[in-house]
Amino acid sequence: MAAKGPTEAAVELAINDVAFHEIARLETDRGKAARLKEWVDLYRTLGRRGADEKARLLGEITRGYASDIVGNFDPRVYRFATSVIPRGLRLLFRNQLADAGPLGLEQRITVQGHVADLKTLVQRGTVILVPTHSSNLDSIVIGFALDRLGLPPFTYGAGKNLFSNWLISFFMQNLGAYKVDRRLKNGLYKDVLKTYSTVILERGYHSLFFPGGTRSRSGGIERKLKLGLLGTGLAAFINNLRAGKPNPNIYVVPMTINYPLVLEGATQIDDLLKAMGKSRYIIEDDEFTKLGRMLTYAGSVLGFDGRMFLHIGQPMDPFGNLVDAEGRSIDPRGRPIDLRKYVEVDGEARHDAKRDAEYTRELGEAIGEAFMRYNVATTTQMAAFVLFEMVKARHPDLDIYHLVRLPGDTALPLHEVAAGLARLRDRLLLEAAAGRIQLSPTVQGETIERIMEVALRYFRMYHTRDLVHIEGERVLLNDMKLLYYYHNRLAGYGFERIFEPVPADRAEAPARG
Amino acid sequence: MADHRADGDPTPRLGRGPIGEEPVGIVGGGSWGTALAHLIGGNDHPVLHWMRDAATVAEVNGHHTNTKYLPGLTLSPRVAATAELARIGQECRLILLVVPSQSLRSVTAVLGDHLDGGHVLIHGVKGFEQGTFKRMTTIVREETCVRKIGVLSGPNLAREVAEGQPSATVIASKYPEVIERARAVLAGPTFRVYGNTDVVGTEVGGALKNILAIASGMAVGLGFGDNTKALLLTRGLVEIARLGGHLGARSSTFSGLSGIGDLMATCFSPLSRNFQVGQRLARGESLDEIIAAMNQVAEGVKTTRAVHEYALANGVYMPITEGVFRILYDGVAPRKALASLMDISRYVYEIDPEFSGGAAD
Repeated sequence: MAAKGPTEAAVELAINDVAFHEIARLETDRGKAARLKEWVDLYRTLGRRGADEKARLLGEITRGYASDIVGNFDPRVYRFATSVIPRGLRLLFRNQLADAGPLGLEQRITVQGHVADLKTLVQRGTVILVPTHSSNLDSIVIGFALDRLGLPPFTYGAGKNLFSNWLISFFMQNLGAYKVDRRLKNGLYKDVLKTYSTVILERGYHSLFFPGGTRSRSGGIERKLKLGLLGTGLAAFINNLRAGKPNPNIYVVPMTINYPLVLEGATQIDDLLKAMGKSRYIIEDDEFTKLGRMLTYAGSVLGFDGRMFLHIGQPMDPFGNLVDAEGRSIDPRGRPIDLRKYVEVDGEARHDAKRDAEYTRELGEAIGEAFMRYNVATTTQMAAFVLFEMVKARHPDLDIYHLVRLPGDTALPLHEVAAGLARLRDRLLLEAAAGRIQLSPTVQGETIERIMEVALRYFRMYHTRDLVHIEGERVLLNDMKLLYYYHNRLAGYGFERIFEPVPADRAEAPARG
Repeated sequence: MADHRADGDPTPRLGRGPIGEEPVGIVGGGSWGTALAHLIGGNDHPVLHWMRDAATVAEVNGHHTNTKYLPGLTLSPRVAATAELARIGQECRLILLVVPSQSLRSVTAVLGDHLDGGHVLIHGVKGFEQGTFKRMTTIVREETCVRKIGVLSGPNLAREVAEGQPSATVIASKYPEVIERARAVLAGPTFRVYGNTDVVGTEVGGALKNILAIASGMAVGLGFGDNTKALLLTRGLVEIARLGGHLGARSSTFSGLSGIGDLMATCFSPLSRNFQVGQRLARGESLDEIIAAMNQVAEGVKTTRAVHEYALANGVYMPITEGVFRILYDGVAPRKALASLMDISRYVYEIDPEFSGGAAD
């Protein structure tokens, strides 16, 4: 280590970067004056310290970060917890949530797609599950569903702020969740985090990444994915090859989660609209941290035949190639691929930062496309999409900001809304038949009247005021922001064009410059 | 421990295989493929050159000439020809694809059976796929398992490169290894190789300049001079960059060798096939007659249709492409199409931001 360690300049640069980011962060926090002073002192005196001193400092900071991330994870506790906790989890759901409705939670979570493949692959290699992310309930719902499917638990990184809810914190810590402090922006912290993720993958712990990074604030399917953590799958695969492991494969399994209503929908969309154009900020306190609010949510969503839809997509490799039922990578023409060749240099598997970043970018693209394909359209998304697009068509001169600020008495004729729903459903059926989207059973098979009824019932239930209500022949829209939020889940498929006003000059040649 | 130090390592480690006597593969026996084979052979690298025509294979191997495409040139003795596509995949790690745009898919589908993730594929094909408007790198990606894909494009008239006149080209790829490996065999005393990471911009520039070459040939055929040509090229470049921006290209790429560089060479040279198509159309020949008389593909004819249809469907304003399309496919007389382009009533340009520097919108 001493002989081939990093240069003194590199060590100083790493510490400098940490100090710079910590000072920037702590300066905005009044309660942290003492910590701030420590970092400022370090920053000022760093150049005068000796090489050994710097190396010691770097080691200290790194170890601090590592122990913060790992928490009290212990393989023995983990093995114990994975056998005991699911039972506790079921108990929690039964007592706290599921009793609110006529059906238990198990019946409410519909899991479809490549379930059998997932079951095979957890035996053949290490799986990274990459779900869409709209609610903090996601990890709990997924944990529950995986257990019901007879799958082993998946470890994952959870925002540090979530550990402030004692109940959630208890389950998360014991299920192998590690802490991610999103306030820390420095390169060293991110490297420690990535290294941790790589190591647990190499050791065969299946992991859960939310590749969108945070919950989707727009409510839409994530198209821009965070590649840093995603790249640890490839890093672990290369390390496994180098170590000559018998099951070196890492599988990446995309998955979508759709709720009829989203617990944090209102704050998320508010945050998005506020933060657009400004620097992002993280909400530390939202619906999720309040147990009472959660129970209201559970009560209303689960109050009648509400369902959540989990759709498991076809597995991929860390390069974004599809993987067949036996765990073999196949190219777009169905030929088997020898993955080793992608990373071999002179016959030996090697890391290459730029090349691997590009492989990971391609994987991210493939996941984004899979999210679109495996998205399950629900009644609420459908209704919100039609209502929002119809209002947009009536106000072609308004941008999103103005549209969401339309007065609370915006109304649409009921029969036009029904006609709009019918047109969207026709398109959804076509797209679903072509494999470009999935549909909930109600959207797939019920009448337009029934779809509208179910959607409106949901819209009256959980959010602080009715999103939509019907008055005679008029549909009144009370909350354009939330309609926009649910609408966004069906954005990006080109459905907008169904509702575009036909321009009068369409017949003309596309003249004018 | 996981090796994350690679992330901070500024020197890319190249996945260069053993060079030794492994040949560079070239797929496509047209004039550009032949010129590239000759160039690489001239740099003292062995070349395995695939072409469909058995008689030409025999001619290259027996006489070191390709009289159909580059008459009068003696090819480098390091070039060996073959009609077996499988051999290219089996014997070469670095492969250049130089076939007509509408054949690329069928050729790579066959070649794909003999490729693995370690191969490097670089295409020098300037066009889009008819009907799908797919770029050539997209096709390579769809037909093979190869990821180390790149595009070669620049002001490279095949005969001038083959004759050893000083020239340069661009290799664009997201993978540094692709650029480095291509540079290692292509660069020499008369040929420079520049790298770029903007694959889309490089492909769009190369494909669209063929439309302007046709327009430029028409202007010359109609007897117009340099003012007209400069007008066409300048506005044409804006049009290229506009479509490029729409497809995700970087606008700076269009001011480079593979953008304006290629545009100038193609539009000023009577050697360019597309230029010849335009010139002959202006002299009153029909498109069918011209195509029948040429033994090489003028990519611009097909590209015009593909681009025009895409622009129309996606609301991208491309008046010059539209004009060329009307001449090629609607039988509009070149002089009339030009008059329509110059018609002042079509423009609303008190201030045209695109003239003052901004390219893509």
